[in-house]
Amino acid sequence: MIAGDFLSLLAQAHGAILPPTVPTGAPVQTQATTVFAFHCAAGVLVAGDRRATAGNQIVTDRVEKVLELDPTSLLAIAGVPAMAFEMARVLQTSFEYYRRSQLQTLSLAAKVRALARLLRENLPMTLQGVGVVVPLFAGVDTAAAPPAPHIYFYDPLGAQFHAVNFAASGSGATTIRSILSFQDRYGQPRPPQMTRPQAVQFALQLLSVAAEFDSATGGVDPQTQSYATLKLLTPAGIQTVADSEQAQALSAP
Amino acid sequence: MTEEPYRWLEAIANRREYVREQLKAGTPVFAASLTDGILLLGVGSGQSKVFELFDRHALAGLGHPADIERIRQAAIDLAHLESFTRAAEDVTLRRLVGFGLSAQLKSAFEQIYSAPFLVELLFAELGSDPARDCLARLHADGTFQVHQGGVLVCTGDPEAERAAQQWLRDQLPPSRPRSEATELLLEAWWCLVHHRTFAEQLPQEPERRAGWRSATQGRTVELAWLNRTAAKPARFEPLRLEQVGLATAASPPPG
Repeated sequence: MIAGDFLSLLAQAHGAILPPTVPTGAPVQTQATTVFAFHCAAGVLVAGDRRATAGNQIVTDRVEKVLELDPTSLLAIAGVPAMAFEMARVLQTSFEYYRRSQLQTLSLAAKVRALARLLRENLPMTLQGVGVVVPLFAGVDTAAAPPAPHIYFYDPLGAQFHAVNFAASGSGATTIRSILSFQDRYGQPRPPQMTRPQAVQFALQLLSVAAEFDSATGGVDPQTQSYATLKLLTPAGIQTVADSEQAQALSAP
Repeated sequence: MTEEPYRWLEAIANRREYVREQLKAGTPVFAASLTDGILLLGVGSGQSKVFELFDRHALAGLGHPADIERIRQAAIDLAHLESFTRAAEDVTLRRLVGFGLSAQLKSAFEQIYSAPFLVELLFAELGSDPARDCLARLHADGTFQVHQGGVLVCTGDPEAERAAQQWLRDQLPPSRPRSEATELLLEAWWCLVHHRTFAEQLPQEPERRAGWRSATQGRTVELAWLNRTAAKPARFEPLRLEQVGLATAASPPPG
C-alpha cells in the first residue's frame, strides 16, 4: 500500500474502485456537456453549462459540472455523469485523505496524475462507449513562487495535456475553442487581460453561442433563472460567481 | 505463566502500571466545546499532539509519538472509508471510537507478550450546537467515555485529570470567548504540569498566567479550532496564539 494513497486503501477494503465492465445493450446514457476554462487577469475561470441529456431528451438543466475537489483544485466534467461524479468523489476523498494522513498537501503534478489514473482505470467502459469521461482540471501550483493556477485537459484514455491559455471539452467544445482561439489571437482585450466582470460576461457569451449550435449545451436564461456554473480559481483559492453577478454581466452593455 | 489466572491478572496489573509510568512525563491536552466551535490545545514540539482526523473530527493525545501516529492513521483510514462508502454525515465519533479504535487498543493491551500502546487520547466531534458536540476520552487499555459537549482533559494521572476537568467545567461555560477559554486551558496545563492542586490552594490568576507564559517558552502551543460557523466541509483550523489575542513571554500582550 502506498502511504497516503486512498485508492490503495479503498482497493484493500473493497476491491475494485470502478466497475470494470458493463453488459452490452446498456441503456441510453446520460451525457453532460459543455465545459471550458481560460486564463484571465484574476486567475483561471472555469465554466460549465448545466444541461444533461440522454439521446434527444433533456434530463435536467440544473447539473453542477464544475466541482471543487479541494480549496485549490477544480474538476469540470464532460461525458457520462455517473462515472464523472464518481471520479470527482474519489479525487475529493483522495486529496483530503492524503492531506490529513501525510500532514501536507498533494502536489499539483500528483493531482493531475491522479485524474489520469482514474481515466485509465475507466478504460473498459470507455472502449465500450458507455462510460466516456473527458474532463478538464484546474489547480494551483502552490509550490511555485508566486503560486499560479494552471489548466489541464485529458483524452478519454487518460493522456494529460497542459493548456497554455484555454481548454474546452464536451459537445459544444468545438464552437467554444474556435471563439476562444479567435479572441486569444485577435480580441481586445485578450482573455488573459480580462478583468473579472469582463471574463464572466465573455464566459456567458461563449455558452450562449455554443447553445445556438449544439442542442446538448444548455444556454443561460435570466427569465428562467437558469445560469451557468462559473468558478474563478485564484492563487488564494476558489470563488464561485453567483447568479446575481451573472445576471448583472448579462445585462451589461 | 499466563495459564494461571492469577498470573495473568498480575501481568495485566504490571502492564497497567508500566503504561502509567511511561505516560507520567507526558503533558496534558484539552478540548473545550464553545458557542462557535471546539477548541483543542496541547503543548508540544509542533504537530505532535493535536491533529485533524476528518471534516468535523479532531484528535489530541499524549504518549509515544509512534503510537499516537498509529492510532491517528487508523482513525483517518476508518473515517475516510466510511465517508466514501456511505457519506460524511455517517462518520460519527461514537462509532469511530467505540467500534473501531477501542477494540484495537484493548486487544493490544491484553497481548501481554507484545508492547501495549503508550497513549492517552481525546477526540472531538463538532455538532450543530455545543450541546450536540461529542467529546470522547480513550485510554491505553481501550476503555473510553463519551461526553456531550463540555470540557475534556487528557493526562497520564487520572486523579489530577478529574480535578482539572471539574475546575475547568466550573470556569468554562460554552459562552466564554475563545481567547479566555484558551488562557484558562493554558492555566490548567501549567497547574497540571507543575503539580499544582485545583483545590483551595490553587495559585491565583496572575501567578497562573505568568506561569504558563514562562513554561511555554521554547515550546509550541498547539492550538486548533473546529469551526462551527464555517461554510466549508473541513472545519479544522490550526491556530496560533496571536490569532486568539494571546502572546507568550517572548511577545507580551499589548498594553
